[in-house]
Amino acid sequence: MKSKKVLSVLLATAMIISTLAGCGGGADTQGTADSSQSAGTQEAAPGSDSQEGESAEGSSGSAAAGDLLSIEIYDVAANYQGVQSGWFDKVVKDRFNMELNIIAPQVAGDAVFQTRASSGNLGDILVLERADFADCVEAGLVKDISADISNYPNLMEYKDQIDTLNNGLPGNSGQTYGIPSEMTNTSPTSYTQDVIYSSPMLRWDLYSELGCPEIADLDGLLDVLEDMMEAHPTNESGDPAYPFSLWADWDGGDGMLGIANVVQLTTWYGEKIKGSAILKADNTFTPLTDKSATYYKILHFLNEAQRRGLVDPDSGTQDWNSAVAKMSAGQVYLMWYSWQVGFWNSQDRLKAGNAFIFTPVKDQIYYADADSYYGGTRVFAVGSQVEGEKYERIMKFLDWYASPEGLTFQHDGIEGFNYSIGDDGKFTLMNDNALMDNLPVPEEYGGGGYNDGNNAINQWIVAAISTNPNSGESYSSQYWSTYKEATMTDMKKEWQEKFDAEEPVDYMKKNNVLLISPNVSVSLPSDSSDISVIRNQCNDTLCDYSWRMIFAKDDAEFDAMWDEMCTQMDGFGFQELYNADVEKYQIELDAKLAVGK
Amino acid sequence: MKKYFQNKRNRRGFREFLYILPFLILVAVFSYYPLYGWVYAFFDYKPPFPLSMDQFVGLKWFKSMVDNPVKLMQILKVLRNTFAMSGLSLLFSWFPMIFAVFLNEIKCVPFKKFVQTVTTLPNFISWVLVYSIAYCLLNSTGVVNSVLMNLGIIDSPQLFLQSEEHVWFKMWVWLTWKNAGWSAIMYIAAITGIDGELIEAAKVDGATRMQIIRHITIPSILPTYFVLVMLSLANFLSNGMEQYFVFENAFNKESIQVLDLYVYNLAMGNGGYSLSTAISILKSVVSVLLLCCTNGISKLIRGEGFI
Repeated sequence: MKSKKVLSVLLATAMIISTLAGCGGGADTQGTADSSQSAGTQEAAPGSDSQEGESAEGSSGSAAAGDLLSIEIYDVAANYQGVQSGWFDKVVKDRFNMELNIIAPQVAGDAVFQTRASSGNLGDILVLERADFADCVEAGLVKDISADISNYPNLMEYKDQIDTLNNGLPGNSGQTYGIPSEMTNTSPTSYTQDVIYSSPMLRWDLYSELGCPEIADLDGLLDVLEDMMEAHPTNESGDPAYPFSLWADWDGGDGMLGIANVVQLTTWYGEKIKGSAILKADNTFTPLTDKSATYYKILHFLNEAQRRGLVDPDSGTQDWNSAVAKMSAGQVYLMWYSWQVGFWNSQDRLKAGNAFIFTPVKDQIYYADADSYYGGTRVFAVGSQVEGEKYERIMKFLDWYASPEGLTFQHDGIEGFNYSIGDDGKFTLMNDNALMDNLPVPEEYGGGGYNDGNNAINQWIVAAISTNPNSGESYSSQYWSTYKEATMTDMKKEWQEKFDAEEPVDYMKKNNVLLISPNVSVSLPSDSSDISVIRNQCNDTLCDYSWRMIFAKDDAEFDAMWDEMCTQMDGFGFQELYNADVEKYQIELDAKLAVGK
Repeated sequence: MKKYFQNKRNRRGFREFLYILPFLILVAVFSYYPLYGWVYAFFDYKPPFPLSMDQFVGLKWFKSMVDNPVKLMQILKVLRNTFAMSGLSLLFSWFPMIFAVFLNEIKCVPFKKFVQTVTTLPNFISWVLVYSIAYCLLNSTGVVNSVLMNLGIIDSPQLFLQSEEHVWFKMWVWLTWKNAGWSAIMYIAAITGIDGELIEAAKVDGATRMQIIRHITIPSILPTYFVLVMLSLANFLSNGMEQYFVFENAFNKESIQVLDLYVYNLAMGNGGYSLSTAISILKSVVSVLLLCCTNGISKLIRGEGFI
C-alpha cells in the first residue's frame, strides 16, 4: 500500500515536471524552427548579411557597465521569439552587458500586441509599424526622448530624418518619440541599388541555351519559360521543376491587399498597390478590382502559366519553407525578388553561369521605391515605462546600433569570419554561405551557428545600402569593389554585352523604363475598427478567389470568378475601403509629388 | 460568528466548503471572469487604445453581421459548415462504440492491445503534424500520387488537398482516424462493467456471439452512449478550429470554415476583435440554448436530465 502511495507521488511529481519542462522546451523548439525560417524571410540578400567589423572607433562601445540587464524588445520585424543567442548575443553582452529578449508578434500572433498594449507596457525597446507607432504615442506607450537624444552623436547623424518623422505625428509640438528604421545617408530621390526589388529574373544558362530570345511581353516570357521547362523538365537530381512555384502564407502582407505572388509583380508595369488601391504610373489611383489595372493582368498571367502547365501544382497548398526548398534545389525557373536569388546564386554558380539574372521584357516599365532616406515602414522607440539607468543603457545601445561599428556587425557580420579588411581599408567577403548554410562560428566569436546567432531584431536603424565611413563603400557586401571584381564572371560579361549595360538598374535607366518613387516621411492614419474589419474580409475574399482563379480552366471561368469576387467584395464594403485608402495614400502621393518638383 | 462555528455541523460544513473552494475559484477565474471580455463587442475596440479611449457603439457589431446579403450569406455558409461537420460526427457517433464492442471480442490479448494502442496514438499527435503527414502523403509528388501514377491509374497528379469536393467527409475521416481509439476507451470501460453472469447465462441459453453483442453488450453501454451524445450536442457549435485551420486553403475555405475558425480568422487576421467577440457571444448563447433543449429532450425520453 505504502509503495503505491510513494509511486503515485513520484508519478505526479514527474508529470508536473514534464509539464513545466514541456513549456520551456516548447519555447526552444519554436526558436530553432523560426530561426531557420528567418533565413527565408529576411529581406536582405544573404550576401549582404554576412560580415562583421570590429572597427577601431568603439563609439559608446565599451559601456559594459553594471549588472546583466535583460531588455524586452517588442519587435514586429522579428521572425524569432526568445532571448538572442550566439555571436550577436556575445557582441551585445561584451559592450553593454545586456541580454535581448525578443517578443515577436510574427511568431506569437498579433494578439500579443493587444494584450501587451492593454497592460500598459509594450516592451523596453519597440519596433513598430508607422501607423501603430502613432497610435502607441497617443495611447501613452512610448517614451518622450526629446531631452536626451541630442547626447547621442550617432543618432544625431540622422537628425533631419528623425525630426521629419516626429514632426509628422499628429498634434506633435517638437517632441521626439521615435527613430525611423532603414534610413540611408544618400538622398530621398537617389537610387543606389543595382537591382530593383521586383523584376523578372531567369537562369542565364537556360536562357542562353535558347539563344537569348528577345522577350516582347508576358506571353513571350511564358513562351521562353515553356521552352525552358520542355528542355529541362527536372532539376539535376531528377525532381520535377517548374518555372513558378508559389506560396500562400504571405498573402495580404506589406499593407497590400491580395496574394503576395501577384502584388509584387504589379510593379513590372509601373503600378504599385497601396492597400486596396493601385497607384498608376500617371499618379492616379484606381481600385484594385479594376479589370484594366495590373492586379487583373498579373493574375491572368499566372493563370495562363498554370494552363500551360508551368505552375507547380502544389503552389496553392505549400508554404514559404517548402517553396524555398524547391528554389534552393533548382526546381524553379523564374524569380522576382531581388533577395530571392540568394537562395540559388552563389559565387560558384555565377562563375558556372547558371545563376539567376534580370532579363528585360520589352513592354515593361518598372516601379521602384527610391533609397529609404527618411526610413522604411517601421520605427524604433523606447517604452514609456523605462526609467533611470536602464533608460540610459538602452539609449546607449540604440546609439551603438546606429553607429558604423554596430552597423558593420548587423549588415556584414564578424571580421575574420565573414569578411577581412585589406591594407586599403576595403572589405573582402569570406564564407559567403555563412547565412545560407548556418556555418559554425568559432568559439572566440560566440560559437553556435551563424544564422542561429544572427541579429534577431531583424531590423536596422540604417539601411545596408548606406556608406560605411570606415571603408568608403556601402555596408552591403554586393557593392564592395572586391565583390564586384570576384563576380565579374563570363556570365556577367555576356549579360553586359547583350544588354549594353553594367547592371540591371543601368539598363533600366538607359532604356527609360525605371520609375523611381521618391522617399518621403508621412504619418498615415491607422485604420478605424470598421475599416480594419472590411479590409480583413475583402482581403480574405480577394486572396481566396485569386488562388482559385490561378487554377481556373479557361478565360470564361476566370472572368466569372472575377465578377463574383467583385460582387462579394462590394458586399463587404470594398467601396468604403477604397475611398478610405485613397484618402490615406493621397497624403503620401502629394508629399512625393512635392519632392519630385 | 463564534456561535456559528460552535455548532459541530456548521464547522463541518465550512470545512467541506473549503475543500471545494479551490475548484470554485478555478471555475470563477477561468470560466466566469473571461465573460468580462464580452464588453468588447459593444465598443469600437482598436488596440493599442484601452477600452476607456474607445467609443461605445451598442449593438453595431451585431447588426453589421447581417446588414447586407453578402455578409448574411457568409454567416449562413459558416453555419452550414458547422452544422454539417458536427452533424456528420453526430451521425457517426456510434462508430467508436461499435469499434469498442468489436475490439472487446478479440480473444488474442497481444493483438487486442496492439490494435488499441495503434488506434489511440493518433489522438496525441497535434493537428499541425497531422497536416504535415497529409501533405507528405498527398502532395503532387507524394506517396499516393506516385503510387497511383506508377500503377497507371492516373496520368497527372491529383491535388487532393486542394480539391473542394467532399471536404466535410474528408474532414470526418481525419477526425475519426485521430479520435476513434481514444473515444472507444470510455466504451471499453463500460463493457468491462457488464455483469459477467448475464453473458454466461446467455451462453448457457445458446446465444451466439452476435446475439450476445446485440442483446447484452450494446444495450448495456447505450446509457453511456446517450450521455456522450448529449454532451456533444451541447458542443454542436464548437467543433474546434485546429483541424480546419491547418487544412484550410483558398480552395476549400467555402466548405471548411466553421464558426470557431471564422471567429479566429476575423479577430487574428486583422484585429476585428469587436466583431468576432460579438459572433462568439451569439455562439455561446446558442450553445446554452442547445444544452437546455437536449436536457429537456432527455427528460422527456429517459425520464431524467443530466444537469
